[in-house]
Order: sequence, then structure tokens, then C-alpha cells
Amino acid sequence: MPKIVGIDLGTTNSLVAIAEDGTPRVIPGADGGMLVPSVIYFDEGGNVLVGNEAKTKMVEKPRNTIFSIKRFMGKGIEDVRYDLPLLPFDVSPDSEHIIRLKIFGRDYTPPELSAFILRDLKRNAEAALGEEIKNAVITVPAYFNDAQRQATKDAGRIAGLDVLRIVNEPTAASLAYGLDKKNQGTIAVYDFGGGTFDVSILKLSDGIFEVLSTAGDTHLGGDDIDEQLIRLVLVDLGQAPDVHTIQAIRRAVNQAKEDLSSADEAEIAVEQLQYRRPITRAEFDKLIEPTIERTLKPCRQALQDAGLRASDIDEVVMVGGSTRIPLVLRRVQELFGRVPHTELNPDEVVALGAAVQADILAGGKRDMLLLDVTPLSLGIETMGGVMSKIIPRNSTIPASATEMFTTFIEGQTNVKIHVLQGERELVKDSRSLAQFDLKDIPPMPAGMPRIEVKFLIDADGILSVSAQEQRTGKYQSIEVKPTYGLTDEQVEHMILESFEYAEADIEARLVIESRNEAETVLNATAKGMADEHYGELSAEERSGISAAVEHLREVIRKDNHQAIREGIERLSQSTMRLAELIMNSAISKALKDRRVKEIQ
Amino acid sequence: MDYFEVFGLPRVLGIESATLEKAFYDLSRKYHPDYFTTAPDDEKTQALRMTALLNDAYRTLRHPVRRVEYLVSLEGFKPDGSKVPKSLLMEVFEINEKLEEVKSGNASVEEIDSLRALIHQKRDKFDAELHKASQEWDELLKSGASEAKRKELLEKLTQILSESSYIRNLERELESAG
Repeated sequence: MPKIVGIDLGTTNSLVAIAEDGTPRVIPGADGGMLVPSVIYFDEGGNVLVGNEAKTKMVEKPRNTIFSIKRFMGKGIEDVRYDLPLLPFDVSPDSEHIIRLKIFGRDYTPPELSAFILRDLKRNAEAALGEEIKNAVITVPAYFNDAQRQATKDAGRIAGLDVLRIVNEPTAASLAYGLDKKNQGTIAVYDFGGGTFDVSILKLSDGIFEVLSTAGDTHLGGDDIDEQLIRLVLVDLGQAPDVHTIQAIRRAVNQAKEDLSSADEAEIAVEQLQYRRPITRAEFDKLIEPTIERTLKPCRQALQDAGLRASDIDEVVMVGGSTRIPLVLRRVQELFGRVPHTELNPDEVVALGAAVQADILAGGKRDMLLLDVTPLSLGIETMGGVMSKIIPRNSTIPASATEMFTTFIEGQTNVKIHVLQGERELVKDSRSLAQFDLKDIPPMPAGMPRIEVKFLIDADGILSVSAQEQRTGKYQSIEVKPTYGLTDEQVEHMILESFEYAEADIEARLVIESRNEAETVLNATAKGMADEHYGELSAEERSGISAAVEHLREVIRKDNHQAIREGIERLSQSTMRLAELIMNSAISKALKDRRVKEIQ
Repeated sequence: MDYFEVFGLPRVLGIESATLEKAFYDLSRKYHPDYFTTAPDDEKTQALRMTALLNDAYRTLRHPVRRVEYLVSLEGFKPDGSKVPKSLLMEVFEINEKLEEVKSGNASVEEIDSLRALIHQKRDKFDAELHKASQEWDELLKSGASEAKRKELLEKLTQILSESSYIRNLERELESAG
């Protein structure tokens, strides 16, 4: 079994970890540090730096040093409008549904940018473990929606990783904590990171980690506290600063924030501006109080959803860098009425847990099992713009629901299904997830078709949809248009483009190219099989084509370009005579047309 | 496979939650996709489908009201809000008026509390009725009563669901308003 690594793809820092002999450990980067800052620097020559080296460029080269890209995953421009004025990035006009950052004239989506970080972690792991790493578990905030999860998976694919599982960060943390803790009880994980906030409530029972509920805010973290401090400094300055200045202020307030975790007073010092401002812990606490309060509401919600009171919680676990803030610790302690656990390094605990989950998937650990939930209700648009919920939030995943659809017009062959996520009643207040087009419905009078649509949320928390017409038993083809995400073709295209950055991964490229060609041949064959001349073939020839089609469909899914090439060859051979028949008739028809014209 | 069959149960309504949870954990250990990462594709798909079904079944059967709703729909019955006594509709109408005041912010804390107590009292009454009828159903299953008796009891369960749904809606609205 090849090794599977666990990756914490964080807003501020990212880590890679591996569990060997049941014990997880973080793999350090080339510079020896455990944390790889989630920063990517591009230079004019097309070179890319990731991590600590990139971080040193943040003030000097603000426009082409990208940070906190996780906050943009699965988002459109409207979602981040408030943050943009303080960010030095050049946003492409084509960002309505996927934010694109323009760097030296080229657009990059958040999954592509995240892929640079993942590739760096992959290389670190490969150097440390002495073998190629192809498989990974990647963590995401528990409250990430479908688009954000899919974007994370896409990032993995672009980086050349097979993402075997998307795991929720608080749940991963509980796995790391659960290793040496008692085996029963109810725990709350409070995960306050650089960009996101999650709370999850779990029930532990003999190695089963059952998530009872989760709540959070995917746009609430240390970055928001930094922004509050930046705005404070900007008021002092009383002028609109340039991007270099903002970045210098960002670095200074971040330092002051960190100092205040241990000191009662700190100084915001921006050398470039000759600006110095003392700030006391009390002042800081007053400023961030409302932000901390925003984390407590989801905690109460999660308790209510789990049917528990704060006093029912046996242990509270703190995760994420922002839990180092003393006020955070105090508020959480007050809410749950007990001292939270802070033994494990809050920066590393998620990656360690991801490595434990990777070990479970690799077959190393069979005594532990994680049962996670979907954070948001899944629904479909019904008459009058109402969202009708079909899978409630906090349902254990995988989860499914079945709905019946029909047509409204005689002979209608398409039905559109609009899928949403969220807790509100109306479509306009919900997050649009995707539009599913059921196609090629057999033409029947209105209301006659009975199309059973199955919605399935998998163990990654990602939705797939299948549909079957009940009268004919025919599976419907479905075209998926993600509202805030990339289509499969776009991701494949990015994978191809990304090879210029990756080391020689020719095999993968050959697989994709042969796969694309196979699709083309399969489409052409399907057209040929619908042609009138198909009937002229012998039964033997026809079954030969069917067998070759089936064979190619089989091998197309495998990562073996030779097998796909052979499949294409076999199909081409079997359709040779059909192609000739169609071609001949086209030629003779063309000849006939000409003759008709000549006579005229 | 229906949800009862997933757990190897007959269509009973009295299910111990501890027993159901243990069966859920045991079956999860057997089918969960985490244990099939290296398995062939068709086994992987099967594990995913089976676990989704198991989770759907557990979500439904662990909840005493959803369990009854599932049973009656499995037996071909459907709660119908239009078949409830007029007196209930009048009560609902009155509670709804008070609820509107809460929503518009014109109700005092005491008024909200008394409204909540009123709704809870009605809900508890229906829960007790449902519980009693559920016990009758289990008795009936054991004694193997006639088809007519069976149908009669299913109709009764469906009727309780139809009536209680009004109260449950009011309860939900009150909680989301407060």
C-alpha cells in the first residue's frame, strides 16, 4: 500500500503529516520549519516561491504575493467585497462565480493557487519519506459548503494528488486528541483559525467518533482581528494608504496581536511610516469582543442541535492559532464551564489528526472510525422560489434522499433541478450549489414521466446526483453546472497547464490526453450507432462494437494510458466497416447532388 | 431494503435507542467507506450506498415521530392536514395570532414563556397519544391481528400525525422567532 499523507491546508499556515506505526508526526519543510506559510510569490520570470521565502516578499511585492487564498475558495466576487479594499490583489473582471487573481497578466483561480502550496507539501513529504506521494487526506473547515469542498478537491487534483478523503478540521483534531484520551464521553471542539471558525460536538464510544452537530462561520478568523487592527491604524493615519503600506501595517498588527497573547501591553510599530502606537490587552480585548462573541453563537447552536446543554460536555478541545488569545480561552471556559484542553499544539493538531485518518484509510487502524455530518441542509428549489429541504443539516454522511420529478409540457425532454444549501426558507437567501439538467427524457404526455432523482452526499460531504426514469428504467444523463465552481473540463485543463510547474509527470498527462481522445471516439461511435447504416451490419459486427464500447468505458476510468490507447484502437477496428458505410453513402450522396446540379 | 430491514427489525415502533445505537455502530464498522479505500471500484460503490442507506435509516428510526411517519408511508398512508377537527384549527388560529405578536416583537418575556408552555403542553398531549398508539401497534404485530384491525390502527396513527403537525409547525416557528 503506497503511503497516504494528511494535509492541513490552512488559511495562514499549511502542514503535512504522516502516521507510521500508528503514531502521527508532522513532516518539516526544506527549511526545517513545521509550518509552511500559505503564501505564494510569483516573479516576472514565471518562478514561484511558496512558504517562508514567499512570506518575506509580502511587503515588498504585495501585488504578486498571494496569502489567505483559502478565504476565496468556492466564492464569487460578491462574497468577499468587504475584504477587497484591504487586500493588495488584482482581481480579474471575470470573477463573478469564481474569483480569479491576475498575476503578470494571467488569471489564477483559488484551487490553482492552493495547488502551489499542496505541491510544496507533497515535495516535502517525498523528500522526507523517500518515495513518491500520490495519495492524501486534506482537511477543510467543518462548515465548508459543497463548493468549498469541491474547490479543495480540485486543488489536490491540480497538484497531482489523489484526494482520498476530505476531513473536517475539528473532527481531525478530535482524532489526534482521542489517541491518548479516555474512550467515552462527549467533547466539544472549538476551532478558531486564521480565516475560519468551527465548532463540533462529538460523542466518543469505543473508537467510534460520532459527530452529533457542527456549526461555524467560514469567514471568521484571525484575519478579521488583523483587519480590525488595520482599520484602527488607518483611522490614526487619516489617509488612504497604498498597498505596500497596508501590507507593512498588516505585518505590524499581526506581531502586536501575537505579543498580546502573553504580554499585557504591546506596540504596533510600522517602521516605514515612523508610526508607533502602544496597545494594552484591555484595549485589544474591547476591540475584539464582538468578534469573539460571534464564535459563541454557533457554539450554542451546535449544543442545541445535539440536544445537549453546556454542562453535558465532558471535554473541550481548543484548535487553531486564534485560540492562543487569552480572551478566547476565557469566553470558551465561561460558556462550557470547564477548563479547555490546550495540551497539543493548536497549529499542528489538525494535521496530526489528518494523518491518523489517512492511516485508517490505508488499513492501518481498524479500531477507530469517524462518523461525520453535513454542516448545511441540502434542498431543491420548488414553486414560488421556496427551498424544500431534502437532507437536514447534521445528518451523518454519507446520506441520501430521493425525490420524484415529472414534466409539465407534452413531449418535454429536459428537466432542470436547482440544488441549494443553507437553513433559510427562500431560494434567494440560500447558497446556490448547482443546476442539474436531466436530459433525453423519453417524450411523453405532461406529467407522465416519473423520474426518480437520487441525491447522495458522500463521505467527503460532496453531492452527486443520479436520475432514472421509472417507466422506461432508463438512467438519465445529467449535465451539472456548478454555481460557484469549476467544471470537470476546466479542472482537467488546469491540470494540463499545471504540468509546466510540476516535475515530469508525463504519465498523468498521457492518461488525460488519451482519456479525452477516448471520449471523442466514444461520442463518434454513439452517433454512428444511431445512423441508419448501423442496421446493415451483421449481428456479429454489432456485438463486436458493443463489446469494444463497453471495454473502453471500463478502461477509461483507470490511470493507464496504454490500456486506454489499446481500447481506442480496438473500438476503431470494430467500427471500421460502419465508418466505411457511412462515408460511402455520404460520398455517393454528394455525387448525386452534384449530378442533379449539373443537369440543372 | 427498507429502513427496518437495514437493522434486521420487523416494523415495530418501540425501539430502544441504546440498542439501535449499538446496531448502528456495529453496521457502520462493517460497511463504512473508510474501510474500502483500497477495494475494487464496485465494492467501494456498494460500501458508499450501503452506508448512506444505513445513515438514512438511523436518522429516521432513532426519532420517535419520524419513525411513525416512515412506517405509515411504508404502509401506504399519508398524513393529511385537511382532515383535522375544526376545534383544533380554531386553537391553532389563536396560538398563531399570539405568535405573530412575538414575531413583531410586541410580546413580553412572560407572554412568550406562557405561549411556549401552551405549545409544549399540546405537543406533549400528542406525543402521549402517539406513544400509546405505537404500543398498540406493537401489540398488534405480536398477536397477529386481522388486516382490518391493522388498517384501523394505521389510520389512527396517520390521524395523530396530521393533527400534531400543526403544533409542531407552531413550535418550530416559535423557536426560530425567539
